[in-house]
Amino acid sequence: MIDLRRHNTVLVGHERYFLFQTETRWRMVHDRCPHRGGPLSLARRTPDGRRLSCPWHGTKIGVAALCRTALPMVRSGDEATVVLPGTSQDAPVSVIRRRILANLPPDADAETDPTDCNSSTGSAQPH
Amino acid sequence: MPSTELTDAVSAYCAHRIFQAGPEIYLRGNPYQRPVGFGDLDNVDFTVPLTEDQFLDHRQLVAGRMLTNAYESGMVFLPPEGVGPVLPDFELFYDDEVRRQRDVVRPRLERFVFSFLETSTPKPAVRTLDELEAYFLAEVNAVGSPADQTGNNPAVNTTAPVRGTMRAITECRHAEEAAALHLIQLAPDALIEASAMARNLPGSYGVAQSELFKIFLDEFGYGVYEAKHSTIFKKMLASVGMHTDVHAYWHFYLSGSLVGNNYFNYLAEDRRGVFRYMSAVTYLEWLFAQGFADTGTMLRVVFGDRVDTKYCDEHAHIDIHHGRMAYENLLLGLARTHGEVVIPELVRGVEETKVLMRLGDEDFLAQIRWADSLDEHTRLGAVLATSAVDEGTAVSRAPDDPFTTRVYDTDRLIAVADGEVDVYAWATERPHRLGPGDVLLVPRGRLHGLKAASGQVNYTVREVSRNGPAD
Ligand code: FES
Repeated sequence: MIDLRRHNTVLVGHERYFLFQTETRWRMVHDRCPHRGGPLSLARRTPDGRRLSCPWHGTKIGVAALCRTALPMVRSGDEATVVLPGTSQDAPVSVIRRRILANLPPDADAETDPTDCNSSTGSAQPH
Repeated sequence: MPSTELTDAVSAYCAHRIFQAGPEIYLRGNPYQRPVGFGDLDNVDFTVPLTEDQFLDHRQLVAGRMLTNAYESGMVFLPPEGVGPVLPDFELFYDDEVRRQRDVVRPRLERFVFSFLETSTPKPAVRTLDELEAYFLAEVNAVGSPADQTGNNPAVNTTAPVRGTMRAITECRHAEEAAALHLIQLAPDALIEASAMARNLPGSYGVAQSELFKIFLDEFGYGVYEAKHSTIFKKMLASVGMHTDVHAYWHFYLSGSLVGNNYFNYLAEDRRGVFRYMSAVTYLEWLFAQGFADTGTMLRVVFGDRVDTKYCDEHAHIDIHHGRMAYENLLLGLARTHGEVVIPELVRGVEETKVLMRLGDEDFLAQIRWADSLDEHTRLGAVLATSAVDEGTAVSRAPDDPFTTRVYDTDRLIAVADGEVDVYAWATERPHRLGPGDVLLVPRGRLHGLKAASGQVNYTVREVSRNGPAD
């Protein structure tokens, strides 16, 4: 179980995934810049909102490309279940929260960021 | 401190066995063994700073070795094969008393070595942020790394023909030795990569601190040993049959390389040097992208397919980013944050780096030209044999005698009376052998080491004055 007041990131082996919101939905995407593995969960969006600027060397990663790394996720009400790569089907991660937001700048609208979780990364075990 | 006190302090510091020469040409398996010289430091005056004209003097070489030892005794070194066999040297290298002696000599040696920069460095009138920006871009433009149309470090041209020093290496008759000597000069920095940078990470200085840390993180391969830059540097060395121990080639560091490498630790030792450090790093990171592309090209020309140039390719790629990041966030970032009061120091870091690069380059080029033509210098020596200005010093050596390299402050003739001696002007398995009657001209400032090739060799070292082309 991920407590989104504390974490927005899961660690699977050595790979991190983080929750990322697009205009239409939220997804759990790979927290790894294709350049050198920089933490995209700490990235900022470009002003047009279509790309993320990697904090390590500034490569711009398209949101669409990032979304292609998303893990399969099923949402039912307040609960979302993600299938982690390399784990058995019976070990899903559940994410419970109506609004799950990540990688928002610290000054993001408080109403849309009730979890205050953007700056906190950590690991969560599948349950 | 009166000169005798400094001389005594230097002698006491260098008297420890780890700083004394042994018979080895290459120092392996023991990172604490760092010979300074032949123990002939008793009458050497380090109180009056060297001038630029004296840059190649023997005192420079030994001061450079001592400073490297001083700085590195604040870093962790462990031999890859385990510390067990060299535990007493480990203990001694980090010993309280040795470090106390180090702290006595270090600042005085820094004054001795680096003071000349104050007079040798131009002081361009750069005062505002705009002027700093224009100045830096003009500087990198002048050395062939102009900014691209976005004002950033340009992508490298990997097909550019080799030029400058890299080209001079490819044109040597002993091109492999010359290329190896170049890698050796990179080693004090590359094999303990970013250790001077690491010394600038702690503290609290805002955005620039995080920017430097990102560069540092790249150097350290994001914590993955296989990706660490020193690891891929070692692979490059190994691919051409070179030793990978951290200071295996200690004897073959040229003065110019030691001074250049020590400069960054010197700036880190005195925290007031931080602005100079940041701008020097910016300048180098910017130039490294194309510089390492050129190095990779040179190595492939010299060694063919067998050389593993990943280290060069890595830098040709990542230093495009580092140049941009450092320029934006270290150089301009610090100027924005701290204002015009720090701009003269930022400019000074670039100017001092330029001076040190020029001198280091000149030293290296002179060395490969000389080392590549020892036959010719043996012929020249024979011609000059009667021109010696003194009786010289008679030396007698056996194969297991201590080996070290040195330079002379004036031209010398080495004349073999009997026996044979091998001359190491670079790290080579094919040294230049002198036999009875041979006379070698060793120009001022040229690094060399001598090893007896017969049971006993007797030779004299005599000063010679000559007119005409040097080296
Ligand atoms: S790791 Fe993302 S830009 Fe380099």
